Amino acid sequence: MADDWRYEPAADLKVPWQKRPSSELREAGLTGGLGHWLCCQLIGAYLRARHPLTVIGREHLPTETPFVLVANHASHLDVLVLQSLFPEHLSGRIFALAAGDYFFDSSTKSLAAAQLVNALPVWRGKGTRHALAHLRERLVRGSSGFIVFPEGTRSRDGQMQPFKPGIGMLVAGTEIPVVPCTLSGTFAAWPPDTRWPGPGPIQVTLREARRFADRKNQREEWVRIAGELEALVAGA
Amino acid sequence: MSDTSWTRLLDPRGAFADPFVGWFVAGVVGLLGAAYGVTFALSLSGKISAARQREILLRLHSWAVLIPIMLLPLLLGAFWMILGMLLLSVFCYREFARLTGQFRNFRVSLWTVASIGLVYFAVLDKWNGLFAASQVLGVVFIAAGGLYVDQPKGYLQRVSLGVFAFLFFGVSFGHVAYLCNDLEFRPILLLFFLAVEMNDVFGYLFGNLFGNRKLCPNTSPGKTWAGSLGAIAATSLLVLGLGPFVFSGMLASPFHLLVLGLTVSVSGQLGDLVMSSVKRDIGVKDTGTAIPGHGGLLDRFDSLLLAGPAFYHYVNFFHGIGTEEPDRLFTLVTGG
Repeated sequence: MADDWRYEPAADLKVPWQKRPSSELREAGLTGGLGHWLCCQLIGAYLRARHPLTVIGREHLPTETPFVLVANHASHLDVLVLQSLFPEHLSGRIFALAAGDYFFDSSTKSLAAAQLVNALPVWRGKGTRHALAHLRERLVRGSSGFIVFPEGTRSRDGQMQPFKPGIGMLVAGTEIPVVPCTLSGTFAAWPPDTRWPGPGPIQVTLREARRFADRKNQREEWVRIAGELEALVAGA
Repeated sequence: MSDTSWTRLLDPRGAFADPFVGWFVAGVVGLLGAAYGVTFALSLSGKISAARQREILLRLHSWAVLIPIMLLPLLLGAFWMILGMLLLSVFCYREFARLTGQFRNFRVSLWTVASIGLVYFAVLDKWNGLFAASQVLGVVFIAAGGLYVDQPKGYLQRVSLGVFAFLFFGVSFGHVAYLCNDLEFRPILLLFFLAVEMNDVFGYLFGNLFGNRKLCPNTSPGKTWAGSLGAIAATSLLVLGLGPFVFSGMLASPFHLLVLGLTVSVSGQLGDLVMSSVKRDIGVKDTGTAIPGHGGLLDRFDSLLLAGPAFYHYVNFFHGIGTEEPDRLFTLVTGG
C-alpha cells in the first residue's frame, strides 16, 4: 500500500512574523529560500575559485533529511564549505545551528546569517534546553538536517576543543543519523582573528553515520555521545 | 494600445463615472460606521459583554483596514486591481504552502509561482488565448518541475499540491482579475465582491437565527441548512436587486440575475467548504494570522475560490467581458 500523504506545516507557523527571524523554529519560505539559494550559488563560485576542495568519503554525505552533521570548527569558512556540499534539492532544509547572542543580536546580522548559511539561533544560557528540545522535535518530524559544531565556538588556535553535551540532547534515543566530519585547511585560510579570508586548499573528510537509538535521553549519555563523536571527528 | 485601454488601466479620474460605484463606496463606509455605532450603543446599554465587544471590534477594525485595501486599487485603475489580485494569489499560495509543507519542495513551489505569474501576464495583456493556455501550461510546468531530483518518492503529493494550489490561487483568482478587462470592471467587481461577502454574512445571520440541522458537521461544524438556504435566497435577491444598475442587455433580465446570484451563492459556499476540508485534513484551525479576528488570508478569501470562475463564465457567456477593446494590449505588434 502507498504511504499516506504527510503534511508537515512550517515549524514557525504559530510564531508571530516579527519574531520569526530570530526564532529557532524559523523556516525559509519561497523568498527566503530563493535568497538563500542565490547566496549558495555565489558562495559556491567563490569557494571553487579560491579554495580547492578535496572531499574524502563523499558517499557518507546525507542525501535525505533528517540528519545531523557534526564537525570541528575553526573558521567562518566551515559552514560555507559544508553547506556547499549538499545537493540542490535540499537547499533551504539544511540549517546551521549558530549562537543566538553572536549571530542574531541585530536584525541585519540575523538576516545575513539566515540568508547566507540558513542559520538557526541557539540562545546560550537559560533557554538552551528548551531550544534544543524544539530542535530535537524538529529533527524527528523529518524535514530538516542540521549542521552542528559541538565545540560551541570557533577554535582560536586551530586545535579542536572538547565537544559539549548538547549534541547528545539532540539525538539520544532517536534514529537520526549523525555524520562525523573533519575539516582541515579552513583555519589556515580564515582564522578567527583576521577580518577577511585568504586563499588556500580545504579538505573535508566524511565518516559513516552513527545512530544513537539505544541510548537513554539523559545527561550521562549526552556526555558519552559527545565524547564518541569527538573521537570520530578527531579521526581516532 | 488605445486610449480607452490606458484609461481603464491607469486613470482614476473615471472611477466614479458609473453612479453605482459612488453609491457603493458611500454605502460601505456608511455600513461600517453604523456597525461601529451599533456596537458601542449595545455595549453602553450593557446588552453585550466587554469580551464580546472586543471580539466584534477586532473584526470591525480588520474590515476598516481591509475595505480601503480592497477598494483603493479598484478605484485607481484596472492595473492596480490586477496587481492586487496577483499579490493575493501569491500570498494565499504562501499560506497554503506553509500549511502543507509544500514550500520545502522548492522547485515545484517556484514553478507554481511562475505559472501564477504567467496567468496574470495573460490577464494584464488581455490575451484571452494565453489566459486559457496558461491554465494548462501551468499544470505542465508543475508536473515537469516535480521531476527535478529524480526522486519518485513523494512525486504525486508534491505535484498534486502544486497543481491544486495553482488552479485555486492562480487560475481561480486570475478569473476574478480578468474581470478587470471589461470597461465596466468597477461596478462588476464591486457587485461580485459584495455578493460573495454578503453571502457569508447571510449564512452567518440565517444560521444564527434559524439554524438547527447541521449541513456537514465533520467538515464545518458551524454550517447549518438554514444558513445555507437563507444565504442562497438572500444573495440571489441581492444580485437581482443590484444587477440592473451594473449590467445591461440580456444579463439584466430578472431570470439571469437570479441564476447569477444563485451561482455565486452556491459556489461561494462550496469554496468555503473546500478550504474547511483542507484545514481539517491538515489538522489546523486557521490558515494563518494575517488578519486579526479573521485568521489567515485563506480564511477570508476562501469563498472566492469557486465563485470567481463561476461568476466570470456566467457573465462572459451572457454578457461578454471586455468586448469593447481588442485583445493583446502589449504583445501585439502591428505594422501600422
